Amino acid sequence: MEAATVTRRRGGGRGRARLVPLLFLAPALIFLVVWVIYPTIWTIGRSFFDRDGGTFVWFDNYQEIFTTDTLLTAIRNNVIWVAVVPALVTAIGLIFAVLTERVRWSTAFKTAVFMPMAISLFAAGVIWRIMDEKDPAQGTVNAVIKVFDDAFGGGGAVTAAQSSTPQLTGSISSGFVLRTPLRAGDTAVLGLTAIPPDEIPRDAPDAQQPSAEAGAITGTVWRDFKPGGGRPGVVEPGEQGIGGATLELRDNGGGVVATTSSEPDGSFAFDDVGSGQFRVAIASSTFTTPFEGVSWLGEKLITPAVMIAYIWVWAGFAMVIIAAGLSAISREVLEAARTDGATEWQVFRRVTVPMLAPVLSVVFITMIINVLKVFDIILSVAPQSSQDDANVIALAMWRTSFGGVNDFGLGSAIAVFLFLLVIPVLALNIRRFKREEG
Amino acid sequence: MAEVRFDRVSKVYPDGTRAVSSMELEIGDEEFMVLVGPSGCGKTTALRMVAGLEEISEGELRIGERVVNDVPSRDRDIAMVFQSYALYPHLSVYENIAFGLRLKKVPKDEIDRRVRDAASVLDLTEWLKRKPRNLSGGQRQRVAMGRAIVRHPQAFLMDEPLSNLDAKLRVQMRAEIARLQSDLGVTTIYVTHDQIEAMTMGDRVAVMRKGRLQQVATPQELYDRPVNLFVGGFIGSPAMNLVQARLEASDGDGSYAVTVGDQRLSLPQELIAARPALRDWSGRELVLGIRPESLQDAALAADAPADRRLRAHVTLREALGSEVDVHATIAARSAETEHVRELIEDRGGLETLEEGGETTIVGRLAPRTTAAEGETVELAVDTAALHFFDPDSGLGIYAAQTEGAVS
Repeated sequence: MEAATVTRRRGGGRGRARLVPLLFLAPALIFLVVWVIYPTIWTIGRSFFDRDGGTFVWFDNYQEIFTTDTLLTAIRNNVIWVAVVPALVTAIGLIFAVLTERVRWSTAFKTAVFMPMAISLFAAGVIWRIMDEKDPAQGTVNAVIKVFDDAFGGGGAVTAAQSSTPQLTGSISSGFVLRTPLRAGDTAVLGLTAIPPDEIPRDAPDAQQPSAEAGAITGTVWRDFKPGGGRPGVVEPGEQGIGGATLELRDNGGGVVATTSSEPDGSFAFDDVGSGQFRVAIASSTFTTPFEGVSWLGEKLITPAVMIAYIWVWAGFAMVIIAAGLSAISREVLEAARTDGATEWQVFRRVTVPMLAPVLSVVFITMIINVLKVFDIILSVAPQSSQDDANVIALAMWRTSFGGVNDFGLGSAIAVFLFLLVIPVLALNIRRFKREEG
Repeated sequence: MAEVRFDRVSKVYPDGTRAVSSMELEIGDEEFMVLVGPSGCGKTTALRMVAGLEEISEGELRIGERVVNDVPSRDRDIAMVFQSYALYPHLSVYENIAFGLRLKKVPKDEIDRRVRDAASVLDLTEWLKRKPRNLSGGQRQRVAMGRAIVRHPQAFLMDEPLSNLDAKLRVQMRAEIARLQSDLGVTTIYVTHDQIEAMTMGDRVAVMRKGRLQQVATPQELYDRPVNLFVGGFIGSPAMNLVQARLEASDGDGSYAVTVGDQRLSLPQELIAARPALRDWSGRELVLGIRPESLQDAALAADAPADRRLRAHVTLREALGSEVDVHATIAARSAETEHVRELIEDRGGLETLEEGGETTIVGRLAPRTTAAEGETVELAVDTAALHFFDPDSGLGIYAAQTEGAVS
């Protein structure tokens, strides 16, 4: 009211000119002061006190950041995050944006890629935690890997065995070789024992004594054991064949001439072997253990696993921003490059990408800031046991302050440290905005 | 340097639209060929097919001896100048011009020499370090030209390169491009919708309409002997006046006259000699074309005989200084054939056909004329320069019925 009366007088316009912008700024300013500036100052102050807040400890908390193992891991992980993730997200976003421009169902594809942005980062983390389960029967990722593993050989017929007679020598790591050399028309009986009971199917057919065939070497590989014992080296009723074993036919020098695999009843045959002496062996691949799943959530792979989840979420964001930039590029400039003699790759590298540079840098810098602050997805993907290995600065700050340790002095120091890291990137961003406006 | 040959080339879009229909055109070595026509006539599509930016649906296109249907744009050795100039915004003027040479891995000093030559020809030397966004429209246009000429290509393709410039600059660049082309002697295909550009720049002009070539001829021939109503109406500014008329043979003496409404214009013998086919039209309705330049204020041409005059009622007088354009109505029916209606649509539909028995004609009169709005004026007609068209087919009436191209 006072300002209003003042403006009526000469020269009083200045007071009002100051007041009006202030009024407009007030709501934002109040929120900023209450929620940002006051807590920041308080946190900086708190970082110089010990865990109870009673003793002023100078820079001891900051010193602790750089001397505690888990905190150093957090800093190292954060460096890896900043080095890897923004670049990957930008690159994948660029590839998606360029490709979707040319496909028929581009809107559907873009929606699918962008969809994760609609999920909270924490929920996305939960999804990936389940997908990353080690057991292929539970974790989607390992289940997919298992499908491919099985398709390209996969596990062997049995995981452990011993030979039942001295005639068969060797071990499961080298394979078993029959001592007696064989010729065409001979038969081979390959008995194994000490096989884990559940590895031969209960309904597997009984093995049969091999019958000789002219020009071929035939044989049987079987479990040379039945309840009550049985005689070693003899195929007896009630003894089951081993199906799916890999058999090798070796020449005198030990080189593999032919391979085959056994039928469910353990029988096998090498046809048309020709003249000469051979040895029959059970290949070591018969005894490989099946795929047991990659330990994504274990201490070694936890950081890459979280990164993959994070990239899955943010690639859509990058794609949409870059696609918008792409659609703003004039078709004619690209056509001009083509008539100027550029291949599609040259058009992309020398025209499209440079023209997209401003957009790419927006995405890249935004991602650096996001990645510096990465927190919730790590908390949700990494199980308690590997959180020390997946640790990043923001997570360390939370765990130190609220996660059971309750050291608010050290927690505040970590927060201030993170704040200092973000400032230069923010400054870079602001400078870029100013340059664009100017 | 090479000739470019369209051999029954068509462009059919997936939805069945024929943008270009079996186009037959030969552009000679070093020739400046202008493709002109209203928007949507297929001229730009035709050019883009030469550039390799548009697939050729049917027919064969040759540049030099080579069939280029399946040759990608980059291997066709052509240079294109776009309407928007399409400069690379992230590169300096120098790098814009050098771009094509760098891709061809031309040695550095050779690039430098050629870029500087081109820059000096185009008056760009002092702007070489600038980015395109800091240049004026005219300068950008010259950079686009520079980018084309440094490459010494087989052909220049220009897609309305001047339409983004202001009128004065356009006139200047028109002359500039024509001069450059004749200096360099590079085969050029130039697309424009502006018939003045077409007439002033082209060695020959190809008029297109609805994907079909109408007439390919020198500018003068297009003006003098338009093959059909469309070409007649498209070439020339202001456009040719088209009125319904009736040809009549005078009894006995072998002379002819046309009746326009209630007025009569007798035709000179040499006109009939030049257009013998007219004799078959006596007693029939046809479309009479009168160029505005063929009209003169009779008061200033006292020797014009009475049977070569038209009385008209002036509705609008536009003084242009060097001449006066007079819009006037005469008592005659407008040529209301399908072809005329389409022609008006092609021009943008600004004019409308008058209802009833009145037709507006435009005359380009000498500045001394006293014709005033609301008054009646006597117009002397240069009857030797009249045009006649078949109202059904739209074809010009010349020597024989077979003459002329597709309509």
